[in-house]
Amino acid sequence: MFAYLLRRTWQIVPTLIGVILLVFFLFNAVGGDPAEQLAGLISNPEQIASIRKELGLDLPAWQQLWIFVTQVATFDFGNSWATNESVAHIFQTRLPATLTIMVPWLVLETALGVVLALAVAAVRGSLTDRAIMIVCTVAVSISFLVYIIVFQWLFAFRLGWFPVQGWSSSTWTNLTLYAPLPVMLAVFVSLAPQLRLYRSFLLDEIGHDYVRTARAKGLSERVVMLKHVLRNAMIPILTNIAIQVPTLFVGSFLLEVFFSIPGLGREIIVAVNRSDFPVIKAATVYLAMLTMVINLLADVLYKAVDPRVTFK
Amino acid sequence: MSGASTPLAPGGEYAAVPDGPDLPAADLADQAADRDAASTGVWHAAGKRMLRDRVGMVTMVVVVLYLLVVAGSWFGWIASDWQAETGVSYASPTFLGKVENLEALGGAADGAAKGPTLDISDVDPLAPRYREWADRTAKTDSGIVHRAETLPFGADKWGRDVLKKAIKGAQVSIFVGLAAALVAVVIGTLLGAVAGYFRGWIDDVFEWFYSIFTSIPYILLILSFAAVFRANPVLAHAGVLTIIAVLGLTGWTSAYRLVRAEYIKHRAREYVRAADAIGASNFSRMFVHILPNASHVILVRLSLDVVAFIKAEVILSFLGLGVPIDMVSWGTMLSEAQSELVIGKWWQLVAAGAGMAVLVTAFSLFTDSLRDALDPKLK
Amino acid sequence: MTNPSRNPRAADGTLLSIQDLHVDFAVGRNKVFHAVKGVSFDVPPNRTIAVVGESGSGKSVTAMAILRLLPDNAKVSGTIRFDGRDLAHEPMSSIKRMRGNDISVIFQEPMTSLNPVFTVGDQIAETLSLHAGLRGQALRQRVVELVDEVGIPDAARAIGRYPHELSGGQQQRVMIAIAIACNPRLLIADEPTTALDVTIQKQILDLVARLKREHAMSVLFITHDLRVVGEFADEVVVMQSGEVRERGTVGEIFGAARHPYTQALLACRPPLEHRPARLPIVADFLSGRVAGAHVLDAVPDRLPRPDGPVVLEVKRLSKSFKVKRGLFGSVEVPAVKEVSFTLRRGRTLGLVGESGSGKTTVGLSVMRLHDASAGEVWFEGRDLMTLSRNELTSMRRRLQIVFQNPYASLNPRFTVGQILLEPMRIHRIEADDAARLRVATTLLKRVGLPESALNKYPHEFSGGQRQRIAIARCLTMKPEVLICDESVSALDVSVQAQVLNLLLDLQDEFGLAYLFISHDLAVVRYISDDVMVMNRGEVVEIADSDTIYRSPQNPYTQRLLASIPRGYEAAKPSLAA
Repeated sequence: MFAYLLRRTWQIVPTLIGVILLVFFLFNAVGGDPAEQLAGLISNPEQIASIRKELGLDLPAWQQLWIFVTQVATFDFGNSWATNESVAHIFQTRLPATLTIMVPWLVLETALGVVLALAVAAVRGSLTDRAIMIVCTVAVSISFLVYIIVFQWLFAFRLGWFPVQGWSSSTWTNLTLYAPLPVMLAVFVSLAPQLRLYRSFLLDEIGHDYVRTARAKGLSERVVMLKHVLRNAMIPILTNIAIQVPTLFVGSFLLEVFFSIPGLGREIIVAVNRSDFPVIKAATVYLAMLTMVINLLADVLYKAVDPRVTFK
Repeated sequence: MSGASTPLAPGGEYAAVPDGPDLPAADLADQAADRDAASTGVWHAAGKRMLRDRVGMVTMVVVVLYLLVVAGSWFGWIASDWQAETGVSYASPTFLGKVENLEALGGAADGAAKGPTLDISDVDPLAPRYREWADRTAKTDSGIVHRAETLPFGADKWGRDVLKKAIKGAQVSIFVGLAAALVAVVIGTLLGAVAGYFRGWIDDVFEWFYSIFTSIPYILLILSFAAVFRANPVLAHAGVLTIIAVLGLTGWTSAYRLVRAEYIKHRAREYVRAADAIGASNFSRMFVHILPNASHVILVRLSLDVVAFIKAEVILSFLGLGVPIDMVSWGTMLSEAQSELVIGKWWQLVAAGAGMAVLVTAFSLFTDSLRDALDPKLK
Repeated sequence: MTNPSRNPRAADGTLLSIQDLHVDFAVGRNKVFHAVKGVSFDVPPNRTIAVVGESGSGKSVTAMAILRLLPDNAKVSGTIRFDGRDLAHEPMSSIKRMRGNDISVIFQEPMTSLNPVFTVGDQIAETLSLHAGLRGQALRQRVVELVDEVGIPDAARAIGRYPHELSGGQQQRVMIAIAIACNPRLLIADEPTTALDVTIQKQILDLVARLKREHAMSVLFITHDLRVVGEFADEVVVMQSGEVRERGTVGEIFGAARHPYTQALLACRPPLEHRPARLPIVADFLSGRVAGAHVLDAVPDRLPRPDGPVVLEVKRLSKSFKVKRGLFGSVEVPAVKEVSFTLRRGRTLGLVGESGSGKTTVGLSVMRLHDASAGEVWFEGRDLMTLSRNELTSMRRRLQIVFQNPYASLNPRFTVGQILLEPMRIHRIEADDAARLRVATTLLKRVGLPESALNKYPHEFSGGQRQRIAIARCLTMKPEVLICDESVSALDVSVQAQVLNLLLDLQDEFGLAYLFISHDLAVVRYISDDVMVMNRGEVVEIADSDTIYRSPQNPYTQRLLASIPRGYEAAKPSLAA
């Protein structure tokens, strides 16, 4: 087991190097010269040159790469080009808001998704099943934007059940006052695709031979579904959750933009609009690292769920 | 190798086509029908199944209609003048009839004065000349067009025809979706085929490449590419090609995964071994033998990607990171719609939202029917 | 024999009585597939009834219909009498009470029939706690007893294992334990040994026979293998295309079969005792050309083949696979160890072994479809192992292979014409496509297929027909050596006979040398002049066909031969018990 962990950690290194190289290539080579943009309308060559020097853009490429690598290693990306706030500080302060929305969303969506998928799988093949699937297809085809615009207008603006926008410094207030509408919105929108996905997992399992054996033992359909089928379907379901965890940290930037939530997602959008490279670079590299670590943890946790998994 | 369920489920892989002339037929109706007609390949059989699928046919018609509209818009036959401000600001849709339009009144564009004015002609030194000037003005063509009070689907803030915008937006969004999906699937297929077929160190290199792209959360990847392409002096002015490049260069991973798995699976199949045994070259085995067997899977992936990229383009354009400013897309329409809804003007939201929803629904259902027709075992 | 009996353990009276059973499957929109068309037979108490048929006969569907284990699109009509009730019309709740309790089932593929995420102990316990209401310590004890009874060693440790940690044979024993846990009166066994090696097969069959005696059960045994039936069954029901062709005691069926189909099934199987020149095929029987199950006794033996020149010589062929172990290391797992043999023109060398013996790897390595780790393969004066890719391509013509799975060895997207033309194009045989088409047509006719097949796709043909197309494809290149890798193993008995006859005819006509690889001893014995036995990568014995059968030297060979179900004649004395 230890050997497996060691080997997996070792395998992360080339990927990490690759990510660093990609980010460097993108931002330093393709990204052009931000100094011109940052200098604003003043196209005074001296001013541009001094900004370039300040940002370290006048150094040769390999030196810039080395600086980048040390930045990654020391978790220090300097300051935002726009606000001069330290990038690390930006992450620290924005992350809680993002998580306040995303964690409840993931929990609710998974729970509801599984329950509804079980209900639909129980009536598979019937008219209800097909009707629900068509409704899901239509629901998925409406843009997230439309949902947000309509929900925000309807539930906050017209009906006044929730605040239109806002955030506070108290987690409790956030959870009970500001988060419910965005969370509800997110769960509502992601329910359709999750339902389809989980339903397909369940139906795949139902087609397997061991289900026939379970029925041949005389077990009720309920026990067959909840004990045998669900237990096996948990394997792909947990895979699916593991894939979604890294995105928890990016957050839903659309929700944060619409509802003025000071989260990481909105920060990134703002940075993109302002060509604020340090923020985007940092976010990309760290989220990549986070994804790799989460994948590793997920693989280890698999053993608890799927006894066939062996660590070689 | 027959699975335990084979005896129970006719239509399974080893459907009972009997051996020898004297054994009675135990066919499936499908196979019998296929045999009566001329010999059927996979595509022909799929086509027949599609024709019998009502949902598939209806959605295909809808998709074709959209494509026709896109073609019409592309060639400039319709909606080419979407930028013309032909209506009053926030003109209401024709089917609603005349709706009180306060906004239009506020910024009346034709300059006509409203309400009574004070008659000061007796002290006004220019008063005698007004008649002359009015006559002369009436004769010259000032180019100011009389603005319509209502348009077929209303107007936006600047009086532009929403219906025309929706059509033009459809063209842009669909074109981006199709082109980006094509780029992504071609890249993914080539890389996946090579990786899955040759394995070994080539596979390791491609897997490394794949892992880089997939360890960065997809949204971040797109945003990074978008940010960087905007800042690049060449790419920033490539118009629609920029966003196609962004989506295509980041979206190849699903197709890669799929094609690689297909190639690994088929590589081990006996018909490829048999091709090896009779002496077929690597290229032949990869693209003449295996590719036709994976093509239906790739086609389905392509359709799914088209839908995904249309939705992505809409969101990116909404944020201002998509199509250039001088173009319209469903996304830009929705960004205007947000503030319009507050003042009760809902037509842009519905036009863009519904236009997109209908297309995506039709396309998704069509993809499902396509998948069922190509591989009826997979239900 | 249709009197429902209240006390099924009485010597007279029937345990299960199926009358006029029909099973239809709804396929597609309006189509219906009639899988079972009016089947009737009885199962007396304490007897083994074998239901025999080939694929598509409806035998499994009939068995599954008893406990309503069919898919949702099945419609059942008829009468199934058990315990005074009609199972076809009972409410689902009482069927569920009977499942695993009065009537149990074991299936063909034990690996997939067991739930992979629960331990085997839990899965056995589930039945007991459901029907017998056992809990806690009493439950655990009973589970251990059952595991012991079915012959799994170290029962207390075994119950904590997961299915994938057990071998195929042990998994099937677990399935049996689940089935007999609540002392059912009827055990339905749906091809329980088909997926297992022949030595394991014998163990499982013996186990089932023992349990039947000890628990006083009846067994409804579904199979396609008549040899198994002859040794274990009391009564036999022969099915074809959803109908019963013949019913009777095992003595009646094997001694004096009346229906031509039954006679065909008995006769088409290659016998072990001698090697007839030709095998009869089902069509011969059904058309009346041939009659009587003992027709094979009248067919003269094949003349011994003359010793031809050596065409292929294999010296110390070895192949190992690298498996990752530990942190950075890997272990070499040998699949083939120093195998040597020679192949002579016009003769057949049979290569027989169980799964994991390395026999298929030998075939693939000789063709260089796998790269061998060591050894030499001398063909037409050159060592194939040392040839470059280009040189190998021209050699390919002369050395061909027919694979096992007829459904996978032809490209589903090519027409038969394209399949046959491709090798001729690659090797530039014949001047142009017109000439190649003529060759293809001739070969198709030679293997018994019409010219119209050229424009058809593989999925329009049956397994046996596809295998013949594959053989025709090999023949387009006029090879010297043909490797048959389990080429008839996936085919029904009657079709096997056709393909074997074809192979023998082609050998006579073209002077081909065959390397015939199979796990089926009877087939190998029949078609081969010499036989090579492999076990765990090594050749344990090599001799001519008669010697191997009559006086095997190696203990493994002896064990292998002893595991073959003897059939009725040999088993007659034991049936008196």
